[in-house]
Amino acid sequence: MPVAEAKKRMVRINGCVASAQAAKYADVDVIAAYPIRPYTATMMALAQMVANGELDAEYIVADSEHSQLSIAHGAASAGARVFTGSSGVGVQFAYELYSPISGSRMPVQMMIADRTLDPPGDFGSEHTDALSTRDMGWIMGWSCDAQEAFDNHLIAYRIGEDRRVLLPQMVCQDGFFVSHITGDVELPDGGQVREFLPPYKHPYPLDPRRPVSHGPQIMPEQGPPLQLERARAMEESMAVIEQAHEEFGKIFGRKYDPWLEEYKTDDAEVVFFLQGAHAVTARFAIQHMRERGIKVGMVRLRTIRPYPTERVQDSLSKFKVVGVIETNMALGSVSSGGALYAEAAAALYEADKRPLMMSFMAGMGGEAIVLKEFYWMTEKMIEAQKKGKIEKRTHWVGFEH
Amino acid sequence: MATIEVQRQVLPILENPNRGARFYNPELPQSEPFVPGHRTCAGCGPSIQYRMTSKAAGDNTILVGPTGCMYVANSSYLCTPYNIPWAHTQIGSAGSFTAGVSAAYEAMIRKGKWQGKFPNIICEAGDGSASDIGLASISGALYRNHDCLIICYDNEQYANTGIQASSRTPYGGMTTFSPPGPEVPEGKKLYPKDLARMMAAGHPHCYVATASVGYPIDLMNKVRKGLNHKGAAYLMVYTPCQKGFVYETPRSIDLGRVVVECGLYPMWEWNPEKREFDYSFRPASMRPVSEYLKLQGRFGHLHAEHVANMQKFANQQWKMMGIQIPEALLRAEDAKNVTNMAAAAEAEAVAETV
Repeated sequence: MPVAEAKKRMVRINGCVASAQAAKYADVDVIAAYPIRPYTATMMALAQMVANGELDAEYIVADSEHSQLSIAHGAASAGARVFTGSSGVGVQFAYELYSPISGSRMPVQMMIADRTLDPPGDFGSEHTDALSTRDMGWIMGWSCDAQEAFDNHLIAYRIGEDRRVLLPQMVCQDGFFVSHITGDVELPDGGQVREFLPPYKHPYPLDPRRPVSHGPQIMPEQGPPLQLERARAMEESMAVIEQAHEEFGKIFGRKYDPWLEEYKTDDAEVVFFLQGAHAVTARFAIQHMRERGIKVGMVRLRTIRPYPTERVQDSLSKFKVVGVIETNMALGSVSSGGALYAEAAAALYEADKRPLMMSFMAGMGGEAIVLKEFYWMTEKMIEAQKKGKIEKRTHWVGFEH
Repeated sequence: MATIEVQRQVLPILENPNRGARFYNPELPQSEPFVPGHRTCAGCGPSIQYRMTSKAAGDNTILVGPTGCMYVANSSYLCTPYNIPWAHTQIGSAGSFTAGVSAAYEAMIRKGKWQGKFPNIICEAGDGSASDIGLASISGALYRNHDCLIICYDNEQYANTGIQASSRTPYGGMTTFSPPGPEVPEGKKLYPKDLARMMAAGHPHCYVATASVGYPIDLMNKVRKGLNHKGAAYLMVYTPCQKGFVYETPRSIDLGRVVVECGLYPMWEWNPEKREFDYSFRPASMRPVSEYLKLQGRFGHLHAEHVANMQKFANQQWKMMGIQIPEALLRAEDAKNVTNMAAAAEAEAVAETV
């Protein structure tokens, strides 16, 4: 059945449905689903769209996340545009496939609605699930609301399918804070999407008319050149990412800095550095503190792979103290806290002026970070600024006085 | 955009399927989608099966190869034995990757993104992939009925990694994970997983069959029946491994016939329309299992009681197929009536027959 042309309109939907809408607008060919909370709602919405005839796609209910990703890999290898997703331990059940997919340069797209890893079966959002795959060669970033989630999916397809890139993308949103909170989302005209996102055409699909062999066994000396190519694709994607965001702004009217969102940082002395949904509450808390004369701001990381090293360096070196809100766990890591600290600190290593840095284990287990906790963290940063040194690198917020 | 109807291929069935392995059939296609120049061992059963299967399928075909011997030995970067598209996938992804390829072609043809007849999509999974790590993914693909053919090239072990037991390794089969010793004289204690029947029973809408490289035309016909069947099909093919079974290289095809004649590899088809097994295949003769065992070093350690156990197992298979068991085979179920494989005299006799 022919699919009706979409018209630009405002809707009130949650992040999961926004992701499903984006997949529909991208006219995906194959969808690989498997249920796990909280991302499931995306696949529920897509199933209904297919059942209603709003989207012409093969909707596959896989037998596991490992199979989901393999189905996506196979379908992308055959030349189809593919959409899949997961949450929490589901992301990790599929772990084997992340490197083969990026290594075969298949621009599979995966939606993640974060969920805390087991134990003990917490539904709340922590970024550890997706972050555990961060070095596997996937373009990766977080949105902080439903509109941004919708936009990020389209932008990510455009980046990943670019011949200069050809890499898979993980489009992440916090479970519940984004995935299940409704917000106003502008759905575009079909024509806008077609202008922005050309049809997917892989240069070497599995096509009987032009036989190719994908993924042959190699000798050890043949490995490094291929790894170098993948590493270069990741590096060179940075220019494509910037270009895609710029064109997205022109066509859709929403302009995003691809790397960082800075909020009230102009004269800020201490800033929060974070990614994802807690930025929304952070903005409110910062406004509240600003009204009371506290010079605090926020830097939100929008894309973590590829990591915008220079931008992070330039941005964070302007401040006296940086407090990283982790929302992820990296047990036994350099800060004994989360993964964000280590990379931000590494990015700052070459800066002429380095801020003091501390790591806040906040928003863990899917807990909201409340106003008084933002105040508490800000106090810790100001205390460090006054003393001119860090006495405690990592704070578990809510467990200390 | 209007939906385009998907056109599918129909491959002709060859005549004289049960003739000898050396019978020349002029109807055989000339095309060679799988060519020499790879690194498989001399006499490699799986690669013989690859050639027959791909020849039967023809050029409008896509092959999927999960990790295993046929991945490592066939595909060497910067050279390839495949004249048709081929992709490696992970050992546990046999069914799922194949399902993805099949689903992609359904969608792309329907949406006008690819023009042509639906290609044959064949997955060649080793028995490690098919019976162990990739079992769920294959079951998923069969259950969902993607238009594809999944083949288990059954060499009864993980051969690529240096001969380890899989759940298809027969009772008594020596592998590096099931070595015989004073405490475990038979080596492998467990009987093989009844994989193909499990697939037929669990996915009755699929065409399922067993085959052997010892019967090439029969194998090629089963490949074509599986491909012609709209939806998923499954084949389990006996493909001896000279390295793991320890036999003389030129005897691969012979083994493929003897294993059937000894009742250790029942040949049957599951008819998805009638929902019944077809046990009409009859080998030229019936033999005691010892005739199969003595050809292979992997069974050289077996005592009479183990050989008798194997005969009991084989007789159960004959019974399952509704074939009357000759008195001699029933007698061989008793250890008193068979001899140790390890006996020196027996070993000499084996050397003579080989």
